[in-house]
Amino acid sequence: MSKLGQVVESVESYGKFVLDQVKRARTDEKFGRELLGRWNDIKAKIPITRTPTGLPLPRLALPEIDETGEIARYLFGEGLPGEFPYLNGAYREMYLEPVREIESFERNDAVAAGVSPANRIKTQPARLPPQEEPTRLFSGLMLAEDTNERFHYLTRHQRTHRLSTAFDGPTLYGIDSDADGVFGKVGEGGVAIDTVEDMVRLYDGFDLGSPNFSASMTISGPAPIIMAMYIAAATRRFGPKVVPKLRGTIQADIFKEVQAQNETIFPIEPSLRFLTDMVEFTTREMPRWYPISISGYHIGEAGSTPVQQAAYTLSNGFAYVEMFAARGIPVDQFGPRLSFFLDCALDAEYIALARVSRRIWAIGMRDVFGAGPKAQLYKLHTQTSGRSLIAAEFKNNLTRTAAELVLAYINATNSCHSNSADEPFTTPSEEWIRLAAHGQAILLEESGIFKHTMNMLSGSPGMKAVERAVEAAILDEFREIERLGGVLSAVEERYQRSQIQNAAHRYEQQIYDGTRPIIGLNRYRDGADDIPDVKLARTPRSKQQLQVDRLAKFKKKNAEKGKRALDKLAEVVERGENCFPSLLEAAEVCSLGQITSRLQEVVGRFRPMV
Amino acid sequence: MASPIRILTAVPICDGHDSAINTINLEFIRHGIEVIYLGYHRSVGDIVRAAIQEDVRAIGISSYNGGHIEFFAEVVNLLRKKGADDIKVFGGGGGTITHDDAAIMKRKGVEEVFFAGTSLDDMMKFVHQRYGKPRAKRSQAKSFDQELAHRLTEIEDAAAGRKKIRNSKFEIRTSRRSRVIGFTGPGGAGKTTLIDELVLRFLNQNPKGRIAILSHDPSVVGEGALLGDRATMINSQDDRVFMRSMATRGQAGGLSPATHDCLALLARSEFDYVIIETVGTGQEAMPFQKNGIVDLTVLVMNPDYGSRLQLQKIVMLDLADIVVVNKSDLQRARTAHTEIEQRLEQNRPARGSLGEGGRSQQLIDTVAKRHRDPGVDRLFDLISSGNLVGRDRLARRTKGSK
Repeated sequence: MSKLGQVVESVESYGKFVLDQVKRARTDEKFGRELLGRWNDIKAKIPITRTPTGLPLPRLALPEIDETGEIARYLFGEGLPGEFPYLNGAYREMYLEPVREIESFERNDAVAAGVSPANRIKTQPARLPPQEEPTRLFSGLMLAEDTNERFHYLTRHQRTHRLSTAFDGPTLYGIDSDADGVFGKVGEGGVAIDTVEDMVRLYDGFDLGSPNFSASMTISGPAPIIMAMYIAAATRRFGPKVVPKLRGTIQADIFKEVQAQNETIFPIEPSLRFLTDMVEFTTREMPRWYPISISGYHIGEAGSTPVQQAAYTLSNGFAYVEMFAARGIPVDQFGPRLSFFLDCALDAEYIALARVSRRIWAIGMRDVFGAGPKAQLYKLHTQTSGRSLIAAEFKNNLTRTAAELVLAYINATNSCHSNSADEPFTTPSEEWIRLAAHGQAILLEESGIFKHTMNMLSGSPGMKAVERAVEAAILDEFREIERLGGVLSAVEERYQRSQIQNAAHRYEQQIYDGTRPIIGLNRYRDGADDIPDVKLARTPRSKQQLQVDRLAKFKKKNAEKGKRALDKLAEVVERGENCFPSLLEAAEVCSLGQITSRLQEVVGRFRPMV
Repeated sequence: MASPIRILTAVPICDGHDSAINTINLEFIRHGIEVIYLGYHRSVGDIVRAAIQEDVRAIGISSYNGGHIEFFAEVVNLLRKKGADDIKVFGGGGGTITHDDAAIMKRKGVEEVFFAGTSLDDMMKFVHQRYGKPRAKRSQAKSFDQELAHRLTEIEDAAAGRKKIRNSKFEIRTSRRSRVIGFTGPGGAGKTTLIDELVLRFLNQNPKGRIAILSHDPSVVGEGALLGDRATMINSQDDRVFMRSMATRGQAGGLSPATHDCLALLARSEFDYVIIETVGTGQEAMPFQKNGIVDLTVLVMNPDYGSRLQLQKIVMLDLADIVVVNKSDLQRARTAHTEIEQRLEQNRPARGSLGEGGRSQQLIDTVAKRHRDPGVDRLFDLISSGNLVGRDRLARRTKGSK
């Protein structure tokens, strides 16, 4: 049995464990008393907050139960926010506004009974407001210096600098800007990075070792090479001592590339090997770095069902854990450095998709991989669904995104990106980006839905029903993958890929025949489509030429050293050793394309799956 | 009956968005169109080369990653440069291509750009109206490959009953120099991957050599076909490889009504090798028996063929010169090797009657998906050494010496 099969068993037996506890709470009087005591204690300690209208509310809402069996079901089956199995949240308070006034539960009764507000006990906030602005705007255009300028513009009013980097097509495929037939793609849709010198320019003026800086790089196929370039650039500017201080993340999710996004450059096994080489290095040398972002977003966007998205993301995650552990990296060291990225659309499953994912991850990590609490957390970034946005009567997209945001927060996502309504047409423009960002602020800061009370919308009978159905369906997917010999075999047999394609086809069909209503498209359509004022930032040819010229200069300057570095890299890979240190050396004197092609000579190229 | 419309579809280089094109491909097939699908992340050169070799009526490009103005224009320009501007270019990219972009692209020679919200029906109508009419008379081909491609089209059209061709024009030249290797076997055994790996070895070993591939995929009911072998090939996208994809167009047995004549033409077109790949075949298939052009036959097996009794029914196990057990990293592969070895033993006594030394069938295990697989190396050595004389050629030789 692969580890995934064991995860299925662990989740099932955890379910049995919960039932046993329920039974025991009802039959074992002592145990029941203890539980009741704990429950009352928890309730007594919940601070009270006050809404702007003066209504007192508890900062944590719990179900109205006093029967010991039900208490057991809640505490073991769901857990309080921030407690195993984390169904209600990875952390205790999530989006709650900083405490302004705190009263004890008993005081609340007094207030309700008309006691004067002057008697309220005022205390210091239990938790400081978040130190970082949550803004991390995805950006990348033209050449490194253009993106750099953009980064400085975006962060000009911020104390903390969280940069999110989008790369252009050639970079995503590990190709140099001077490669045959890619000229028009240079700097399009993201920044063109060929060499360490570009990387230096990209983050110029930012203090890469500062605790207030973090870089996010959205790239998977050539991730280890780009990571090496980032480290090389940081070292050039700040010396080798900066390496342990580097903060940020790189996507590096090979499985989802093969399953959905098609940006893979080496065959699967060597891709995974290079990834593990990188994770081994960052776990040891860069304790603040997140070396992989396990992504369901692209699976969802490629057309999967919500359950497929959650199931493949989780199973990919468990497969990575198995792989890293097999390399001998301790699970409690790399486990806390894993993070997840999900899509959130409008289907009913999204009411609880991330909640269930968090529970399954925690149980699997604890009971199959022996992970400690920090490595049990399914830390989640959510993005609203790009696919759900349509061109016809596009302003409706604001409503779609707003509804998706509500679902994302109900699931207690750790961070969130909201899409711009004009996305079906183009790279979002400033006007619509602003509206999208304000959508989040309106829900979290202006509305009272999420800021006063944890669990405000959790635990409805409907939500519980979705949780049960989604969990069962995810476990079914796990069983099928297990039957195919685990994640890697299933991927090679194109299992996930064909399931996703099939679901995508069904989705289109449903839109076509009207069984999936899309307002303004196949229902209530008035025919007159308005189109936003589209202004596109296209990369001028002169810039593309500049990039090619710079690359030529770099290659010429480093011809000798570059060749030696590549020879050494190839030898190390042939010998089967961890190649990351050699990649670091090569990144100093070789271009991305040179490194990619040399590695491809040794391990082959990825053969596309259709 | 006229030949179906042939269209090549692809996604540009550095772009992996294949969801839309997958849906559109299926719709094309449903509407009787033969689609040669090149896959995603394909360069201008790969697209134009394939379009010329396949002699399609048009290229459909689905682009979602930007740079479309340049990319589409480069395809049009390269077609012109190669004298192939009878091949038209159309495409789309959802909302990523603006109306202004489309206007520029059309000025640069793109026939049509579809926007987000275009119905599949409208696309199908466009293709039928624009590319469904018989081709105008074409000027002299500008290159060897183009000439060859045009003549292969003539053969296919003739087989479809559109034009008459004098048979003599396509007679087999006896002194041909291409070696013709036939690959057959059940669907999913890995024939295409194996061929692509052999091509890599051939190109490395023969810096000037050329190789032709005639690949087959089944037509579905209603004429259309998805010819997708090129999409999974990485080494065969090369100027030294001439590849043509054929749909079976209703013929059973793994080949097309035009295969014989097409193969004959390729075999005397001075390629070092001509590889012919059948569609995935059943147990009773013996696709190369009748045509007499194939020098060496390779049966590619999947270790999962069922019980050993199944092996008795596979006719090609009697006929193939080389039997390959691909995917030999699967658990069942060792059993498969043993069982097939025993099955081939049965053929030996009969061989004696063929004369001096008879001939022994070779059994090779491969893992074609693995880079530098030693099994594929062995297969390549065996094929390229020329020591292995195929049954067909041996039979002809024996006949000739009488």
